Amino acid sequence: MQTTKTVMNETKPMSEYLLLFRGKDWDEGLPQDELQRLLDGTTAWLDGLAKSGRIKAGQPLARQGTVVSGAKGKGVTDGPFVESKEGIAGYLILRVENEAEAVAIARSMPTLLYGISAEVRPLLDECPCFERARQKLNLVTA
Amino acid sequence: MSTEKSDYLLLFRGTNWDKGMSPEQIQKVVTDWYAWFDRLKREGRCSGGHPLQSSGKIVSGKNRAVADGPFAESKETIGGYFYLHVADEAEAVAIAQLCPGLDYGVVVEVRPVAEMCSVRERAVTGGIMAKEISLETAGGR
Repeated sequence: MQTTKTVMNETKPMSEYLLLFRGKDWDEGLPQDELQRLLDGTTAWLDGLAKSGRIKAGQPLARQGTVVSGAKGKGVTDGPFVESKEGIAGYLILRVENEAEAVAIARSMPTLLYGISAEVRPLLDECPCFERARQKLNLVTA
Repeated sequence: MSTEKSDYLLLFRGTNWDKGMSPEQIQKVVTDWYAWFDRLKREGRCSGGHPLQSSGKIVSGKNRAVADGPFAESKETIGGYFYLHVADEAEAVAIAQLCPGLDYGVVVEVRPVAEMCSVRERAVTGGIMAKEISLETAGGR
């Protein structure tokens, strides 16, 4: 998704990226001082991004949740998400110049060294399925 | 944001639900999806949401490696999200059950948004750190 941001009389196109954080509880077995240092480091990392206007939104997600699936959404089950290392633990929406900047931000995340990974995904205005369908329709009508 | 409301994130999993469907069928589902989103926004129950581009990067490991995301059309891949403001989890689940993609294999994960990450919460509870957290600009959209 493209927005613009005026920086010193110059308008730069800004793109939005979703960072999805995955991983188990990284604090397990960490000594208190190391945990303290990491939490402080993470707070400083987030503050720095927020102050420079690169964070549009972001929150941790509660561990428990519900999964809805199946026709008419009849399958409703508790989701044990965060126990697995694939479980999504939180997200940030970044407003940055390009993917390289989003990736650089993800690489600077302090908890990366403790098993948390970040998925970097561009936000779109239109669903890619819609785009695919339109292309197929064009092919059919062409 | 009214105080008695709770925030939930709907994560839509599955980016290959359109496989084998006709373009007209796909358009119908997507159009229904947008109408659903617009209605939730008008009702003040959804403050934002986006589809995600299928390509992306994964950053992981001690060496901060960057890999292309294996996102292309899989059942697990997250294809988009909605941010909900609702009374409770039951309402969030009821909204999730209206997702037009469900009939075609999309799975909706309903996740309460937390004030604080679980690690920080344990640290606060354990007296390791104070409860202050900044990130004032955060707050879901």
